[in-house]
Amino acid sequence: MEMQILKDAHATVVTITGRLDAVTAPEYEKRLNDLIAGEETGFVVDFEGLDYISSAGLRVLLATAKKLKVKGGQVRFANVRGTVKEVFDISGFGSIFQMDDSVAAALAKIA
Amino acid sequence: MSLERELEKNARNLVLASVNRVETELSSIGKVAEGVVNALETGRYTEETLKTLLKGTLEGNKEIYGVGAAFEPDASAARRRPFVPYFYRKDGQPTFASEDDFQFLTLDWYQIPRELGIKTWSEPYFDEGSGGILMTSCSVPFFTGSADIKKVGGIVVADVSLDWLTEIVASIKVLKTGYSFLLSKNGTMLTHPSKEMIMNETIFSIAETRNNPALREIGRKMVQGGSGFTPYTDTRGIKSWMYYAPVPSTCWTLAVVFPEKELFAGVRSLTITVACMGFAGVLLLAAAVVLIARSITAPLHVLADATEAVAAGNFDAVLPPVRSHDEVGKLTQSFVAMNSALKEYIKNLTETTAAKERIQSELKVATDIQASLLPRIFPAFPDRPEFDIFASMDPAKEVGGDFYDFFFIDDNNLCFLIADVAGKGVPAALYMMVAKTLLKSEGQRLGEPGKILSHVNNVLAADNDSCMFATVFCAILDIRSGEVRFANAGHNPPLIIDSSGTHYLALKSGFVLGPMEDTDYETERITLQSGDTLFLYTDGVTEATNFADELYGELQLLSALQSGPKDNLVEMIHSIRFEVSRHANGAPQSDDVTMVAVTFRGGESEQSIQRGII
Repeated sequence: MEMQILKDAHATVVTITGRLDAVTAPEYEKRLNDLIAGEETGFVVDFEGLDYISSAGLRVLLATAKKLKVKGGQVRFANVRGTVKEVFDISGFGSIFQMDDSVAAALAKIA
Repeated sequence: MSLERELEKNARNLVLASVNRVETELSSIGKVAEGVVNALETGRYTEETLKTLLKGTLEGNKEIYGVGAAFEPDASAARRRPFVPYFYRKDGQPTFASEDDFQFLTLDWYQIPRELGIKTWSEPYFDEGSGGILMTSCSVPFFTGSADIKKVGGIVVADVSLDWLTEIVASIKVLKTGYSFLLSKNGTMLTHPSKEMIMNETIFSIAETRNNPALREIGRKMVQGGSGFTPYTDTRGIKSWMYYAPVPSTCWTLAVVFPEKELFAGVRSLTITVACMGFAGVLLLAAAVVLIARSITAPLHVLADATEAVAAGNFDAVLPPVRSHDEVGKLTQSFVAMNSALKEYIKNLTETTAAKERIQSELKVATDIQASLLPRIFPAFPDRPEFDIFASMDPAKEVGGDFYDFFFIDDNNLCFLIADVAGKGVPAALYMMVAKTLLKSEGQRLGEPGKILSHVNNVLAADNDSCMFATVFCAILDIRSGEVRFANAGHNPPLIIDSSGTHYLALKSGFVLGPMEDTDYETERITLQSGDTLFLYTDGVTEATNFADELYGELQLLSALQSGPKDNLVEMIHSIRFEVSRHANGAPQSDDVTMVAVTFRGGESEQSIQRGII
């Protein structure tokens, strides 16, 4: 997995590519926690380049989202498609996260 | 050849020293004769006083055999007859020889000095008159008359015996068996170790006898007063070298014979000595080389032995102490450093290995515990013909997060479920234990899948900061009717194999179990016909990957179930497991692989009907 973090005017755009599984999930969790600790409140996670997500990956998405919620922030997921979307749907995650068709749309909603 | 020159030099020195000795002896005899001459020329002697002079002279000079004065016949004087007073040694006593009628005027010892007017030494001769011995005489003329009219008054003669000469010459030591001999002016033997040679042989007669022209030539040189170093074969036929040199006062020749063997013995012994020294030197050098080599190799040998022991695993082997700062010393130091580093490393490795083994054995125990928690005995309910059930779980690690369970909540309702805890390994296994225990207790208590999941979810979500969760598919089969009530907490949809074929069950997904409180789970229903099968699995099946990271996927699972065995659940699950392994093609298993299959065989009434038909 590769992560790219860009600061937009109102939110931080996190682009993840590759696989988000038991091996890579701890890295995602750590970096997101660091950003949250740095008082970032708005996040958009771009799933465009993500090929695979496992239950461990889902767990870190949820854990970071919960942490953010406590701090009054929010996270929106953009471009959740294909097998990743299937996993989201099967596990019920699709219904608890804010999903958008594009990063721009997500950013617009945060603003 | 410098060696020969050196030998010649040594021979010459010896001969010249010998010549000097002989010369000293002879010249002292000459001096004695001259002393008497001086006395006669300056004093006036009567017959008696002359006798006293001569007797005294003889007594004072032990080397002289006889001394005398031979007077020229004087026509004018009373002495018409030759007058020759002479003393010689007879039995050691000076004895007067009265030789009144002794006709000496024609003899060489008288004639030659008289004519020449100078001191001469005679050829050796045998003297009959005075004791009958071989002798040679030193004759010195004395003069009478005034300075202007000088005439020879006579001859003073001092005789020496050849025995005495022989003694003197013999006293010259020449090597071991070398010897010297004295030749007269004419080449006659004066002295020689072989007595018969004396006077009887000359150098020329020897040359003649041996027919040796070279020796004759040498003899000529000797007579002419020459000196030289020449090869010579002595009278006994021994190969020798001869050095000869003149004795100046007598015009004699002293020849010294050096046996070649002895002459070169020194050289030979020198050669042998040099050779021995050389050999000893080589030996010493070899010994030194060996010693030095040993001093270098010995520590190396010791080091090699020690390192062999180290190589064999004995890290406590004693390495030789570092004594020098040469290469061997450095090598030893390096080995010592390496040894201690190895020792430390092995120690750490041993500790690490021991710790790892401890963890491994603990994990093995954990694996056994976890496996024992899942129902593993099949057929599980041999006395229940209404259904078949089979399940398997292969953890990716020693312990896993997947689990399944089945149990009767009452006589007719079988609860069965499959679950997947997020993540793998020990954290997942711990969470799985809690979830499984809760699901079973709540399952038995509530008997309704939606309620069961809701209650368990609330318990799990109470203290769940890490957001651990499990996906669960929970179902209850009424074994009489085939009705299945089920609820899903984010788990993969099961497959149903019925008369219309094999397909995924359409169901509401529901949220995963654990992270959020107050999540609602809806109970859904389907009714199985006799022979219908429900196939439950975890994502370890569909998300098994090969080396190309390709997922096994729902479609492959579907087709595998369609084409695989359907009647025997054991065969069905094993065939799917085999297909999944074949897809992975050796790629490591990344997630737990769990499957549960349930086939409804019909209620009791149906069973009896079927049996009746059969």
